[in-house]
Amino acid sequence: MSNTPKQTEKLPWKCGKCGGELERGLVKASYLGNDFEVQELKCLNCGLVLITEELALGKMFEVEQSLEDK
Amino acid sequence: MKVREGSLTSTTESLCPECLRKIPAQREVQGENVYLVKRCPEHGEYRTLIWHGSPQWASWVRPTIPTPPKECFTQVDKGCPFDCGLCADHYKTTCTALLEVTQRCNLNCRFCFANAGTELDEPSLKVIEGWYKNVLAASGPVNIQLSGGEPTLRDDLPEIIEMGRRLGFNFIQINTNGLRLAEDSPYLSRLKIAGLSSVFLQFDGTEDQIYQAIRGRQLYDLKVKAIENCAEHGIGVVLVPTLIPGINTDNIGGIIKFALKNHPAVRGVHFQPVSYFGRIPQEPLDEDRITLPEVIQAIEKQTEGLIKAENLKPHNGRCSFSGSFTRRADGSLKPILNNSCCERPERADELARKTRTFVARQWSGPELFKVQTVKDNPGDSWDNLIQQLKTYAFSLSGMAFQDVWNLDLERLKNCCIHVVSPEGKLIPFCAYNLTAKNGRSLYRKGR
Repeated sequence: MSNTPKQTEKLPWKCGKCGGELERGLVKASYLGNDFEVQELKCLNCGLVLITEELALGKMFEVEQSLEDK
Repeated sequence: MKVREGSLTSTTESLCPECLRKIPAQREVQGENVYLVKRCPEHGEYRTLIWHGSPQWASWVRPTIPTPPKECFTQVDKGCPFDCGLCADHYKTTCTALLEVTQRCNLNCRFCFANAGTELDEPSLKVIEGWYKNVLAASGPVNIQLSGGEPTLRDDLPEIIEMGRRLGFNFIQINTNGLRLAEDSPYLSRLKIAGLSSVFLQFDGTEDQIYQAIRGRQLYDLKVKAIENCAEHGIGVVLVPTLIPGINTDNIGGIIKFALKNHPAVRGVHFQPVSYFGRIPQEPLDEDRITLPEVIQAIEKQTEGLIKAENLKPHNGRCSFSGSFTRRADGSLKPILNNSCCERPERADELARKTRTFVARQWSGPELFKVQTVKDNPGDSWDNLIQQLKTYAFSLSGMAFQDVWNLDLERLKNCCIHVVSPEGKLIPFCAYNLTAKNGRSLYRKGR
């Protein structure tokens, strides 16, 4: 993703649940019985994953559609 | 009409195979078999096997709420199937519109819907533009299939594709025997540049004796070459076998294995059980037919369980089945679950839209044949995932066309494959190709 922050960059996000720092890492996602791993930002402390609106309505939605039959 | 004891029946309407008059019909369930039974007051009773075995007839439904076309080119007058154009009583908008761009062909097949013709009879680009515009008015920018005859006999086919793309059609496929695609790579390149999305390739089997029996020539090597050429140009190929009992029904597993071997260039297989059009001296026997559940069972049996019957679901009611899969690295197939299917009634226009989207995504030629590994592109695994899901997707589907013997007008009203007639009307595929026993056509001119 072109807007993905680099590891070294200071992230503008803090975890909304526990206030912890976020870091990019592999995240397990599942849809209609299909499991896969993707790189996303997650809380180092509690593991909460950040899914931006842009991602949910964009690439994530595209993946969902790819997994839906006609 | 006699109703046999112990049988379950439901009623519909059909046509008399001799005189094409509309007559009442019944679907009669007897054990594993379902028959369409009808009686013409003048020509007597007809009884045709329409379903045999599992999945059971009663289970194979996809309830749909009818939605009429946006614009109708004919009025409801004599009733279905005599007012096609589409009329306001048609249940479903278009999934795919077929444009017959020529009636010429370079094969002479035993089983064919197409007519014969000369170059002089071909529609001009201006006429074809009018057809495209009628499709847009009736159904919007649906999927287009350019058919014939053999469409690749037209040297200006790239211009026809380009025109369609310019008018807003995003998915354009050609229905072809592949002969020219095998032998004329520069032509294929022109088709690709013009915007061709996919090739619907007549592919009856993996053995030459099958082609000899059906097409009168040994064509297997040419088919393989055509697929290779399409792969080189990034054009998706769908293998389309016409299934004829005793000729290639034992090759169903072989065809699927061939498709997987040539995946991802081959995007899927679309089976078409034979139907009987044109002048038929004898009424086809039940043994001359293979029904959808028999195709489904053969898929499971002949792929040694690689594909399970339960992974194939009804699509357009009792006309079709479909299943989609992801091919794993070890060659196995993971079925894609379909939770949205078959429980609650769906709006017909919504179902048509889903079909169009699925077909366009699944059958298109990926610019996506090259899948990046996560290592190559560590920063963006969503893009990679999307690409992998598209590239490794594989589909199996089948559609049973109706002929004058097994025609069920309820099914016809639900049809979403529409042929554009020379006058620019949209006519459901099975109505357009329907002929009486003596070969007289309901809609095609000159027959």
